[in-house]
Amino acid sequence: MAALLGGAAAALLRRGPGPGPGAGAVLGAGQRRHRHKEKWATTAPRIPSTRLALHHFDTSYSLHLGELWPSVRAGLLCEQKYGALLNNFSAVDHVTQELELLNATDFVSEALQKAQQSQRGAAAREAVRGSQEGCVQGRAVIQAETITQAESSPPFRASIIPKIKCYTFPRGDITRFCPARPDVLGLLGYYLMDAASLLPVLALDVQQDDLVLDLCAAPGGKTLALLQTGLCVSGGHLAANDVSISRTKRLHQILHKYVPREIRETVSVTSYDGRDWQDVDGGTFHKVLVDVPCTTDRHSAMEEENNIFHKRRTKERQMLPMLQLQLLMAGILAAKPGGEVVYSTCSLSPLQNECVVERAVEIAETQFNISVHVEDLSHFRTLFQDTFSFFSGCRLGELVLPHLTANFGPMYFCKLRRM
Amino acid sequence: MAGLPLPLPRGAGRAVLAGRALLAALRPCPRRGCGEAAALRAMGFSQEQARRLQGLQPRLGPERREAVAAQLLLLGLSAEAALALLEQSPALLRLPTEQLRERAEELRRLGLDGGRLERALSRCPQLFAVPRRRLAAAVRLLRERCLFTAEQLREVLGTCPAVLLEEPCSLHHHFQYAYFRMGVRQKEMVKARLFQMPFAELRNRHIFLERRGLYETPHKGQIQTNNPKLKDILQLSEKDFLASLACSTLEEYEVFKKLLAREEAEEGKEEEVDALYAEEDDDLDSERSKTAPE
Repeated sequence: MAALLGGAAAALLRRGPGPGPGAGAVLGAGQRRHRHKEKWATTAPRIPSTRLALHHFDTSYSLHLGELWPSVRAGLLCEQKYGALLNNFSAVDHVTQELELLNATDFVSEALQKAQQSQRGAAAREAVRGSQEGCVQGRAVIQAETITQAESSPPFRASIIPKIKCYTFPRGDITRFCPARPDVLGLLGYYLMDAASLLPVLALDVQQDDLVLDLCAAPGGKTLALLQTGLCVSGGHLAANDVSISRTKRLHQILHKYVPREIRETVSVTSYDGRDWQDVDGGTFHKVLVDVPCTTDRHSAMEEENNIFHKRRTKERQMLPMLQLQLLMAGILAAKPGGEVVYSTCSLSPLQNECVVERAVEIAETQFNISVHVEDLSHFRTLFQDTFSFFSGCRLGELVLPHLTANFGPMYFCKLRRM
Repeated sequence: MAGLPLPLPRGAGRAVLAGRALLAALRPCPRRGCGEAAALRAMGFSQEQARRLQGLQPRLGPERREAVAAQLLLLGLSAEAALALLEQSPALLRLPTEQLRERAEELRRLGLDGGRLERALSRCPQLFAVPRRRLAAAVRLLRERCLFTAEQLREVLGTCPAVLLEEPCSLHHHFQYAYFRMGVRQKEMVKARLFQMPFAELRNRHIFLERRGLYETPHKGQIQTNNPKLKDILQLSEKDFLASLACSTLEEYEVFKKLLAREEAEEGKEEEVDALYAEEDDDLDSERSKTAPE
């Protein structure tokens, strides 16, 4: 069909900046063009994986997200927004200055300020209540009560927040960050990542001297963020594991570019199958991050390469929830009693998100006699709702939705405590 | 007549024209000037209109002015319409009347008659000045490449006379976008007045809908679609478009437009050969048979 239509018309069918392969025959819905130019190859799949992915999403997510789906869909199909995770191991001051000159702000410290203000406000109202009478004060009491209620489930403690810094441009601002430059020591000043990826790390709330396990660590963005807290080094320890050896290489590269040697040496990088972790080291960690492989929705909608919706990977894709469940179970078993586990994915699918968590909690109870409590993160959501677009309809955990004004995510995360 | 104040002419350069007109008014009225006014009035212009007319391009000899005004009236414009046209584009006064006549004849032959001609000329006075070849190329494109029928062409010219001013390449691109990318056929294009909206705006609206999942390019052979009508996409105000078709906020749309513009700019740089502007092989005809390239 491409040949009949001729070059120009066929080019038009190539979805503006749409994916290359066989696009003359492809009539899909709005996909961005693949980075490299692709010729009109007969070897290209007749229906690109991105189109299959989108079709799949249209079917399942329109049900799940309802009226929100069109906005999320447009967000997935447009350029995503990045955050610049500051590298505390490099010389940060001039980097901070540069970023602030560009009008970027650290969303983590902004959220902290907001939290402190409302905490102070609540405390002040407490004091007022104690010393006054009257109906004006009565109103203030009710306000204070509702606020303190929201904060009774402890937000992350103030200790770690100033350590993790991530700069983003304001809502609606589509400016791009320049690539980071190495400092005098050769370490890069910041790491560009989806800012929403930081939320599971923040939710984990690593404390001083914690033993931390990152079960599916590659390519290493979240691992790097964990290291930025500076807490899992001296007394504590960070174990970073990933089943894929090639992806673990990437992890090593990132550590090399960002972290000084003496710190790098405290991180133990392993390549076990995460599901086998309990055989290696059961019940020893204070904090476990389980950032599982998933359908990587944004990638699947935009990039042909390595796309899990390709026909030949159908079985693999269908087995994902099972794999995710096994990894989460391993993570729970790796945690000490009282330890905390954060499960995260970059998919919108409830089958890969809430369903996996619910099943894991059930299995922990019935098969391992382990009681797992799902932590409420709604206060967390409140703190970050100026930067991210959250979905309010999660049964458990939180979900960051892509939205054109704040095109981060998708990112699902849920916090569990092993009792 | 010299002492009476002149109203400010409309259109570009009004300050300059006003200045000149004022000077002209302050000059003692030559016999010739009075004669000119009389000639204009004889044609059918009122005292007031004649005065306004004389204020345009005052350095121009009165014969020219009279000849052009006369020609416009002959072409069927009313006095007020002719005056409005000249006030909008005083440069027309410098064109030979023969050119005006021929151009109007040409346009009439294309189907712009009576009221349509007048409206078209008022809306796009540049129609008089655009080179004949460009005019012919646009028409040829619309008939032979885009395959509009003669009747459809008349309708298009009547509703969007500015197509005749377009670069044929971009006109073709505009058409092909609607045909292939949006799956719209000629009949609907005409009804929706496709060419009235600038291409960039059409693209913004279409791709916004497409990425939201609200517009799907029909597959080959597919007749029915659930797509919003082209008419609605084009003719609703931005506010109404967002509210009723896209179901979205202005904030989202503004960000989207910025992102799309950036995508466009970067793709433009990437493309080695701009295949879209190669006029040779993208005829609709080639869908059915191999035709020799032009």
